Amino acid sequence: MELRVIEKTEEELRIEVAGEGHTFMNVLKGTLLENDDVAAATYDVNPEQSGGQTEPILSITTEGGADPLDVLEDAAGDVSRKTDELRSAFKAASA
Amino acid sequence: MADEFDVEYIRGDDREARILVRGLTPAFANGLRRAMIADVPTLSIDTLRVVENSSVMFDEMIGLRLGLVPLTTPDDFEYGDTVTLSLDVEGPDTAYSGDLESSDPDVNPADEDVPIIQLNENPSGENQRIELEAEAVLDDGKSHAKQSGGVAVGYRHLRKVSVVGDRGEFDEEETNILRGVIETEDGELVPTDEFDHDLTERYPGKELEVEDVPGAFVFHVETDGSMTVEELVLRGIDSIESRADELQEKVAV
Amino acid sequence: MMIPVRCFSCGKVIGEHWEEFEDRARDGDEDPAAVLDDLGVDRHCCRRMMVSHRDLVDVVSPYQ
Repeated sequence: MELRVIEKTEEELRIEVAGEGHTFMNVLKGTLLENDDVAAATYDVNPEQSGGQTEPILSITTEGGADPLDVLEDAAGDVSRKTDELRSAFKAASA
Repeated sequence: MADEFDVEYIRGDDREARILVRGLTPAFANGLRRAMIADVPTLSIDTLRVVENSSVMFDEMIGLRLGLVPLTTPDDFEYGDTVTLSLDVEGPDTAYSGDLESSDPDVNPADEDVPIIQLNENPSGENQRIELEAEAVLDDGKSHAKQSGGVAVGYRHLRKVSVVGDRGEFDEEETNILRGVIETEDGELVPTDEFDHDLTERYPGKELEVEDVPGAFVFHVETDGSMTVEELVLRGIDSIESRADELQEKVAV
Repeated sequence: MMIPVRCFSCGKVIGEHWEEFEDRARDGDEDPAAVLDDLGVDRHCCRRMMVSHRDLVDVVSPYQ
């Protein structure tokens, strides 16, 4: 996973997440949208026709003065916590 | 957080299971499904050193067949790690996947009885023979379908079926087909194949209401034998988690 | 030629069931559908692999 910030303002972020696909990006987007500070979040996995850009680009817009990078960091933490809970739920069910 | 996951095995064994998971978002359910299919690596034969092959198939065809044989995959392998297996069978006989001899006691064909190639006697009277060394490599389903541990992995919504009244006296009796798992009014979980996927078999003469249960997904997980269903699910979850942790770490810098 | 190792569509390993299917349904007189159910080959895609297969190794052998 290689990150490259394309555009960054107080409340907007466009960042390339190289090496990922729908599997992770959609989970991440879904989790971002659960955050009340996030006004909009989306990602685009460009097709090969789009001038060579084939890595997913994540776009986040926040509201209420939250820094989009902090929001992204929190979302990654949320995904990690969810997987952790899901793992223990699976282990409890199969034990 | 409000995430309360609840997992319940509806039925299943090591190779195939139906698992109900409550509390998932659609994005997460799909992420897990995709991770199980494409991101959980397994060992598969990828290259051969053929010493002798006088069978009726070309080396490449044998290679393809051997590649498709699932190998048990312990979790202490890294991407690109290899295991050597050898095969030496002389006709008249059939070479089976079980004839593969592995250099690692933990890595073996998951099924012993897959026929690889039938060896006969040649017209010249010699026996056909196959002798080769194969290199199995750890990789994931994105590189080749043979590296995918999951077979027909998918999910459906859990559906709640409730009786809202009796069917009108003069209404046609029509079949009401539904596939997956239903939750009855008493909270009982019933796979639809128990009543031939036809709700009128279970509730004859009733008018029914069927609705999705929000956040409840019934996964159908089947593996090719390279690992158990439980391991496949857990490794799928691990795969998502490792990427989330990596992202968190990199953003924090 | 030989029975494919896996189902073309879903990837389930079906090769291991061929010889029993051949014995019981092709050479024997059991109902192919019942044999396939018994073997756990449930999906349409996997069943057609077995039903539509012909072994050709013995046919090809003399020309090698």
